[in-house]
Amino acid sequence: MNIRCARPSDLMNMQHCNLLCLPENYQMKYYFYHGLSWPQLSYVAEDEKGHIVGYVLAKMEEDGEDNRHGHITSLAVKRSHRRLGLAQKLMNQASLAMVECFQAKYVSLHVRKSNRAALNLYTNSLGFKILEIEPKYYADGEDAYSMMRDLSAFAAESKTDSQSDNLEIKSDSAIISQC
Amino acid sequence: MPPSNPLPPKENALFKRILRCYEHKQYKNGLKFAKQILSNPKFAEHGETLAMKGLTLNCLGRKDEAYEYVRRGLRNDLKSPVCWHVYGLLQRSDKKYDEAIKCYRNALKWEKENIQILRDLSLLQIQMRDLEGYKDTRYQLFMLRPTQRASWIGFAMSYHLLGDYEMANSILDAFRTNQMKGPYDYEHSELLLYQNMVLAESGQYERALQHLQKFQSQILDKLSIKETSGEYYLKLKRFKEAEAVYEDLLKRNPENVMYYQKLIEAKQLSDPDEKVAFFDVYKKEFPRAIAPRRLQLTEAPAAVFTRLVDEYLRHGLHKGIPPLFVDLRSLYADQSKADTIEKLVLQYVENLSKLGTFSSDPSEPKQPASALLWAYYYAAQHFDYKKDTDRALHYIDAAIEHTPTLIELFIVKGRIYKHAGDPVSAYQWLEEAQAMDTADRYVNSKCARYMLRAEHVKRAEDMCAKFTREGVPATENLNEMQCMWFQTEAAAAYQRLHQWGEALKKAHEVDRHFSEIMEDQFDFHSYCMRKMTLRSYVGLLRLEDVLRSHPFYFRCARVAIQVYLRLYAQPLQDVQQTTEPDTENLAPSELKKLRNKQRKAKRKAEQESALAAQVQVKREQHHKARQQQEQGDPEAPQLDELIPDKLARAEDPLEQAIKFLQPLRTLAADRIDTHLMAFEIYFRKEKPLLMLQSLKRAWRLDNTHHHLHDCLVRFRCWLDDAGDSLNASVAAVIAAETSQMFAGRSAVQMAEEFLAGPARKSQEGALWGARALRRLVPARTQEALRLATDLDSTQPTIQGCVEVLESLKDGDFGPCEKETEEYILACRAKFPYAIAFKPPAPAPADVPAPAQDAALQPKEIANNN
Repeated sequence: MNIRCARPSDLMNMQHCNLLCLPENYQMKYYFYHGLSWPQLSYVAEDEKGHIVGYVLAKMEEDGEDNRHGHITSLAVKRSHRRLGLAQKLMNQASLAMVECFQAKYVSLHVRKSNRAALNLYTNSLGFKILEIEPKYYADGEDAYSMMRDLSAFAAESKTDSQSDNLEIKSDSAIISQC
Repeated sequence: MPPSNPLPPKENALFKRILRCYEHKQYKNGLKFAKQILSNPKFAEHGETLAMKGLTLNCLGRKDEAYEYVRRGLRNDLKSPVCWHVYGLLQRSDKKYDEAIKCYRNALKWEKENIQILRDLSLLQIQMRDLEGYKDTRYQLFMLRPTQRASWIGFAMSYHLLGDYEMANSILDAFRTNQMKGPYDYEHSELLLYQNMVLAESGQYERALQHLQKFQSQILDKLSIKETSGEYYLKLKRFKEAEAVYEDLLKRNPENVMYYQKLIEAKQLSDPDEKVAFFDVYKKEFPRAIAPRRLQLTEAPAAVFTRLVDEYLRHGLHKGIPPLFVDLRSLYADQSKADTIEKLVLQYVENLSKLGTFSSDPSEPKQPASALLWAYYYAAQHFDYKKDTDRALHYIDAAIEHTPTLIELFIVKGRIYKHAGDPVSAYQWLEEAQAMDTADRYVNSKCARYMLRAEHVKRAEDMCAKFTREGVPATENLNEMQCMWFQTEAAAAYQRLHQWGEALKKAHEVDRHFSEIMEDQFDFHSYCMRKMTLRSYVGLLRLEDVLRSHPFYFRCARVAIQVYLRLYAQPLQDVQQTTEPDTENLAPSELKKLRNKQRKAKRKAEQESALAAQVQVKREQHHKARQQQEQGDPEAPQLDELIPDKLARAEDPLEQAIKFLQPLRTLAADRIDTHLMAFEIYFRKEKPLLMLQSLKRAWRLDNTHHHLHDCLVRFRCWLDDAGDSLNASVAAVIAAETSQMFAGRSAVQMAEEFLAGPARKSQEGALWGARALRRLVPARTQEALRLATDLDSTQPTIQGCVEVLESLKDGDFGPCEKETEEYILACRAKFPYAIAFKPPAPAPADVPAPAQDAALQPKEIANNN
């Protein structure tokens, strides 16, 4: 499996992966919007044939200078490629780029209340904290946890320019999300 | 410039208000003001007002009136830039970009320096890739507005896209030094990287590298700096520096395969042992990374492979990593590696089941119980890959017995049945898996896909509906979300079911997605100039240029072309036609009764169809309203509703097929099927030069291809039949261009030589060759039949056998019922699980749910996974 920054030509295949894996879907234009506004923030995991098996689609929320933060629009790993740690690796790459290119202070996301596997990934493996519950966030009426992860560790790392060690969060519970 | 037909101050003020209303989307008010002007008989024919009224009506969805008013306005004032601009906007809203460009040009004739029109024109030009025109327009905009950022960027980009890198670079340089004054923000950083891209594309890597180094501190995107400078160092053969860069990059992302490859290039390693040692270093440095361990296996020579893969497999089975097989599958290209893995896995299964350890070494620590499960799971996939269905099922059943609650096992069991040619059992096992975790859309999608492979379209739709928006049919929601995997699979399923109209509808839906995605770029032409994300923008333009090279397009186009060819050969009969009852032998009274009955039936049918028409109209209105509501863009052109029956009765199926073919001829020119499909179409259209062109292109790709051989034989026969009726110069061209392909042979000689060659050893080769021989020399039917149905000297596949069987049933070899029966029996013996060769009978007992509609036997097993 290969993990790299997404290019415009990946966006259609990310949409395909999204439609296979997740209930929340978007038209191509929304993928273009991400890829052309914040080209550094989205990452893909691909197999040897170049098929996308996982991706993170991310953006910046620009509400004010002091509150610059990234947001994970969508994260998916195909069920056939779970437990390789792909989601965690994708998220860390995207987070580093948020800090480097856009001086993000933290990254936020939403997750379905019922999605225990994803919740576990975010809290235990990636250091996200639950901020609040957003009632009826999803189209089908399910509540969402609004979560955030502080990125100051990434900021410190990107200054010293030797990120690798701290990027690996020590955890064996490499359960991959299905957010 | 003053309007060509000025209004007095009062009316002029009203006119200005129309413009303002248009800009603020207050269309009703706009119409009110237009009425105030036009109701004055003196200005009833005022061109610009009429045009604006039309444009406003267009925004309210009243398209026909809109065109009427805009055209009337223009006729009344042909020298008005406003009228021309409005006409351009109207055409643009209908996506008639070429027409719109002409209108804008006319508008500019009367008002050369109108910034708004120039900007609109430039957007259309880049959308249509009129790069020369774009350059001229961007030049004018630059001259008119030299202080605006977008003027510089557009100006530079127009040169870049034309390949004039020097000019593009100079403009960017001038812009950067004169216009961009700190702070060095993201946009500045993107601009520098764009300039660097221009330099790199000019091939001046030295210069690009210096540029990058000079501005390094002003660029925020550190990853791009490193990745591109690594590229440059390698191109410049400065290997030491390249090495340092890629080592740095690996620290950042040790799962990037390309970084390892580039590092190997930089270190100039070619010996396999050196590469193995190289990966040893990174395995140690990044103990949690998968890439170095996995890449090492690909490079490892046999001597060390056993030890390394043993380690890898044990680790995976111990930890229980489900994708272990998927991860290693590509190693199977090397037969000896596959054999090594098989030996190891069988050994694990043996020892784990008896001793709980991987080997028989008593000092080895005991493995968790799950290790055996994962070993079974691996073995099942391994044997499935080797098409050994019995052993694959043996291991997957052992795994399910071990742990009956693991969803992955049922997915694999389904896949084994799919590969064995039993799509019905396949989807039933997937249903089982799906029921175990209804919240997982991946399993849901997979299940639906398997149902489509078994031609159970309705069932697949119901399955998908569990995840689509409530209140709308699943197909509608999937279409709205551009869910192309579903639509291409459904198109193929309908094709196999001979539901031509439905198949075409799905193919057209996919085609429309591609058109829509082409449209999507429009807004980004101006957006990206503001955002400065120019590298990605160029990437978008280049993607859109080849958009229909995507496999989804190829698949839907192939279905559409095949269906249209079929409909050309066998047009649909009128379904309403009922056979007239035999009236001659009826008594007069009975005849009267019958006539009465017919009259009643007719009246009823008329009423029903009137009702249906009403419903249809209502549905269309609703559809329209909903479209407007959802897109919030009343200007968007309404697409015709795709009606299967209408599509299947297209008057010009070959022209329709050509529409799907056209993009493939440039974007999928490397696929032989493209040219073979082209031949099939032009053969039916009797266009000899286009046939020739298609054959030549196919020949260049693979001159031994079975279908190409058939096309050549048919072309030869066609030429023989045409004889002197062919235009002399066309005949001369063909004679010259076919000399290599025909090599002076007759059609029969070509067929015989083909069968004498290596083609005979492949199942398709034998079938196509035999079919051509039989067509040319009916006396040799028996020989042809023997060749086509040979299962011993070819390596038959299920799909291949199904094709042979269809050919037999279609009468390609004349009447041959006995041979067909024998062939089915032989196939059944060879592929006992494949339902294509089973006698019509209830579904196998080994399935969890009773097969309710197993009677729907698929016509074809698609196993092109």
